[in-house]
Amino acid sequence: MTSYLTRHRLRVLCAWLLTVLVTVPAAAQPAAPLPGESIYRAGVLPSGQSLTAIRESDMRIEGAAAACVNCHRRSGLGELDGRIDIPPIDGPYLFHPRVLDRHDFNLPLVEAMRLDREPYTDSTLARAIREGIAADGRPLSYLMPHYALGDSDMAALIGYLKGLTPTGSPGVTPDALHFATIITPDADPVKRRGMLDVLEQYFAEQNAISQRESPPLESAHRAHLNPPHRWLLHVWQLSGPAATWDGQLRQFWAQQPVLAAISGLGGKDWKPIHRFCEQSALPCLFPNVELPTVAESDFYSVYFSRGILLEADLIARQLTAAGQEAMPRRIVQIFRPTDIGQPAARALRATAPDLRIVDRALGEGAAGPQLSMMLRDLETRDLLVLWLRPEDLRSLAKLPAVKSRVVISGLMGGLGDAPLPPAWRSATQMAYPFDLPDRRRVRMDYPLGWFRLRQIPLVAEQVQADTWVACSALSETLSHMGGALIPDYLVERMEGMLERRILTAYYPRLSLAPNQRFASKGGYLVRFAGATGSRLVAASDWIVP
Amino acid sequence: MLTLICAVLLGAAPPVLAGDPATADRVVTTTADYTVPNIRLVRDDGTTVSLAEEMNDGRAVVLNFIFTTCSSFCPLSSQTFAQFQRKLGADRGRVHLMSISIDPEQDTPARLREYAHKYHAGPGWQHYTGTLEASRAAQRAFGAYQGDKMSHAPLTLVRSADGKSWRRIEGFVTPDELLSEYHQALASK
Repeated sequence: MTSYLTRHRLRVLCAWLLTVLVTVPAAAQPAAPLPGESIYRAGVLPSGQSLTAIRESDMRIEGAAAACVNCHRRSGLGELDGRIDIPPIDGPYLFHPRVLDRHDFNLPLVEAMRLDREPYTDSTLARAIREGIAADGRPLSYLMPHYALGDSDMAALIGYLKGLTPTGSPGVTPDALHFATIITPDADPVKRRGMLDVLEQYFAEQNAISQRESPPLESAHRAHLNPPHRWLLHVWQLSGPAATWDGQLRQFWAQQPVLAAISGLGGKDWKPIHRFCEQSALPCLFPNVELPTVAESDFYSVYFSRGILLEADLIARQLTAAGQEAMPRRIVQIFRPTDIGQPAARALRATAPDLRIVDRALGEGAAGPQLSMMLRDLETRDLLVLWLRPEDLRSLAKLPAVKSRVVISGLMGGLGDAPLPPAWRSATQMAYPFDLPDRRRVRMDYPLGWFRLRQIPLVAEQVQADTWVACSALSETLSHMGGALIPDYLVERMEGMLERRILTAYYPRLSLAPNQRFASKGGYLVRFAGATGSRLVAASDWIVP
Repeated sequence: MLTLICAVLLGAAPPVLAGDPATADRVVTTTADYTVPNIRLVRDDGTTVSLAEEMNDGRAVVLNFIFTTCSSFCPLSSQTFAQFQRKLGADRGRVHLMSISIDPEQDTPARLREYAHKYHAGPGWQHYTGTLEASRAAQRAFGAYQGDKMSHAPLTLVRSADGKSWRRIEGFVTPDELLSEYHQALASK
């Protein structure tokens, strides 16, 4: 018994030491990538030359294509890729003593790990990397390349692997997982309330469930590896001009680091938040933004769709599909330069360089008189594209409907609630980067029922449904991380799991992958049908630009 | 239909053929018959084509399923195709290499062209996209559908000519093994 207790205490001590030791390096972010990191992530040697490797059949790979990150991922925790195990290569896993019982394993239980293997040493690890031979002398998978690495480069790489750890995220404390939701000062106040209602309710329920749950049946020395079930939401409400947001975010971060930013609400400019998340290695999961930052090689931000930029592409694609005969003589785009219509107009212009496109910017003040002037020269063969908000669309009521075809932005115009005057409805289509109302009904039943049962006022259906999807995708992903609660692995698991979701609410399907940062890729052009023109029906197939 | 069911069953539990012990754990090769579905795909040059016509143009077909943002084993499969195509030598014009995207909404023709360029795809190697339904139909027809792209597995199919059986190679085939499969398929033509 004494010997058991001593062994047990030693294990607890080791586990504690491991937690403490691995937390320290995470707090100090290095300014420039370490040599080992460049090898691992970019396939670049400290000399600046490309990393090279061959496979058994003499196939040579080099540079980024040879980088370890392609398979073992940024977290180093590997993955179960189809039927292929890509094992974790974080130091603690590689050097962990062989165990026969998972309860003796002192690390998070990630999918593709092996417990019954001899621990690596620096020299057997170098042999594995160079010759593809495992610690126990067996050949590694054919997928594992044999790397040409000199001794000092090998030491740098092994040093880097030793520093990769599955624990020690800044937002994970013994009793709670901390999350933020980021809101810009120009975010729509109605959507803001609607989003926060969903987030607060989801978090409260998550915590109510965790209180009811009995403690997991884990052995005492693995107890420290059990992730806390309590979620804490921090609302990072930004204020003032966009140039000051980065400083504000850094202050919030210093006060309370978080594991991820979940949902959130933007206005005209989301770039500062996107950049902050990328620089701070903070997953920023599914913010409600109409103009996301397009940078698919960035890692930490994932979005539902390209939003208004997708709308521009949907319009352009629909024009091309209709053929030369239906091509408008000219496209007139109207937007307010102070809103997101301008980048959307620019995106449409970029996709249709051969078309005659005229941009007309509304000045400050009421839209009515200005629109009256701007619409005067429109002819039947023109196409009018309105990148306008509901208040500007309302002012069309005083104007006669134009002779030309009209397309309005769904996201800006208010989707099904767009206050388009009845006289305008028959000639107007709407860019609609979602599934059709009739087709998403079954997928919306659950979230709508969820809101109703909890008496959450439905004030901005799409934003609230997206927020609910973001929360449930987060919950699902966390439950498949085996306790390895680190930001990189959270993003990687989200990439891997999202496609399996059935309850995708407004979207026919959501799917991510490495270098794939927009989960829904397509949309429709819809028109207004029914006696009052209030029903949205498809005016195109599902378009994937 | 019966053929298709048989093919799917074969795909689900392929009998291991005796072969080189070094390849036994890496590659499982079986013979199967598939009905090419009547679907339209979009080739990497942007043209909408019939899958059957693309497959039945008189050339032998070597087929796989990939997606361009797959970072683990699709690059290896594509590199194998590239090397196989080089090794074909004078036979290059007689073999149609076809890679069908299992992530067609992401893999636009432009992205497929970029991907093909990265792997130095020669003129006889085309990549295909299309609607999600068409891609799934193609995957199902060849017993390659796993539900989602993250569950895929390496698979190569070889057929010497229209009407002949397919060689189904599951696992990591090397360019030389693929070449030998192709020659065997030709010999049995």
